[in-house]
Amino acid sequence: MLEIAGLRVVMGAQEILRGVDLTVGAGEIVAVVGANGVGKTTLMRAISGVYRPSGGQIRFEGADIAGLASHRIVARGLSQAPEGRQIFSSMSVRENLVLGGGPHGLAELDRVLALFPLLGERMSQNAGSLSGGEQQMLCIARALMRRPRLLLLDEPSLGLAPKLIRIIFDLVASIRAAGLSILLVEQNARGALKIADRAAVMEGGRIALAGRAADLAADRRVAETYLGGHVEA
Amino acid sequence: MDYYLQQLVIGLSLGMVYALVAIGFTLIFGVLNVVNFAHGEVYTIGAYAGLFVVAAWAPPLAALLLAVLAVGALTGVGLERLAFRPFRRFTDEASLKSRAMREATLMSSLALSIIAREAIELIYGSQFQTVPLKLLLNEPIRLGPVTIVNGDVIIFVTALAMLLALQFVLTRTRVGLSIRAVSNNALGARYVGVDVDRTIAWTFVVGSAMGAVAGILVGLYYGAIFPSMGFNPGVKAFVAMVMGGLSSIPGAVICALIIGVAEALSTIFVASVWQELVAYAFLIVTLIFFPRGIFGGARERV
Repeated sequence: MLEIAGLRVVMGAQEILRGVDLTVGAGEIVAVVGANGVGKTTLMRAISGVYRPSGGQIRFEGADIAGLASHRIVARGLSQAPEGRQIFSSMSVRENLVLGGGPHGLAELDRVLALFPLLGERMSQNAGSLSGGEQQMLCIARALMRRPRLLLLDEPSLGLAPKLIRIIFDLVASIRAAGLSILLVEQNARGALKIADRAAVMEGGRIALAGRAADLAADRRVAETYLGGHVEA
Repeated sequence: MDYYLQQLVIGLSLGMVYALVAIGFTLIFGVLNVVNFAHGEVYTIGAYAGLFVVAAWAPPLAALLLAVLAVGALTGVGLERLAFRPFRRFTDEASLKSRAMREATLMSSLALSIIAREAIELIYGSQFQTVPLKLLLNEPIRLGPVTIVNGDVIIFVTALAMLLALQFVLTRTRVGLSIRAVSNNALGARYVGVDVDRTIAWTFVVGSAMGAVAGILVGLYYGAIFPSMGFNPGVKAFVAMVMGGLSSIPGAVICALIIGVAEALSTIFVASVWQELVAYAFLIVTLIFFPRGIFGGARERV
């Protein structure tokens, strides 16, 4: 579904991505974990067309989308719930969702609200007045309104309380159950590896390690660096 | 007392004109964080376009306003293409609203405004163009003891209708929601698939259409159309935008009305030559005491 090969992104004098290879298959959850500043968000932005790749390929459902304008990429069925949420804080929840739907408007509303019933009670409230967890839900809901086939999630658990993080990860699992493919970037490696099918560890702008999520979670090196030292069975 | 009422009515219609012009400033500032210095010329072009249409076809007022609305919209597209888009080579939000962008487009829009003004002078000359008498909006209307002219009513009603139409566009249409989205969070807008370039062009279309209609309304009201007529309302509208908090439409409209009414009422206390000072006084007071605008405290955008 998504095949990335040799992706490079250069910003100014800095090469942030130094040849990233990554694939996401249909119906799969792929997690990318890694420390701060290794290029995870740059990777996500390059896929969504916010940053222009300096080299390499990004193929989505067979077509090369590297360098396309972001609205064209969204129109092809690839939506992102970006880092920092980037919701429209001075607009209502409903307006955020309408914008998310694009040409579909609110056609997807019932299905999305089934996943996020809480948002249904907040429809006319200003998005900026929502709590952090609700804003994250709105961010994901907004991306789903467009009926994407591939959903990119950049740090959905950032800044949330542990209980909310669990809720968000459960939601991600149920979104996949509805048939979507998901590419998930997380610092919370433990939670991400638990729901992912496959995973990759990023270091210094490259994929350092990749494999089945369960194998990575059991890997001693990954465990020491990202899971706080102890391997979970 | 009657005189006060009369001036109040005049002030409200004057304020509505400023409001129409201020909306263009405000919308464009919202999406790009820049001041469009050619906005006053859009107003002037609206007036001249109206004059041209009148001379050629002499249509009824409503048709004339629609024609000017269309000319204003096209002017907005051209303005954005010539003075703004060429400087938008990078697409991330940091450069979309960067300082370099602001300074570059400040110069390019100023340059375009000078070119437009000089072009109008070349074609029509610098003297006042007079409006055919029967089109002038100065038929007196007696309301009890107060006498106003039909122009006051027509300006107020037309502007109000346009403000309501704008409200509808901004809250009920995809283009309007996109304009507000880019204004509120340009990066977020790209993630939901908004075509940011097209939305910026639409912003110029909406703002310029309203500014052009304001120009022809005032032209028909005072009966004088001249190349530099856009400067004064441009300044007043700019002050209204700053007072309103830079990117708040309700703020700009309310402040435009305040300026219009204050100007009209000021002639009661001082000679009318001092009238022009009113807006500048408001600007200074705003900048000293409300640096974020009177309605800017909450930072509500568009």
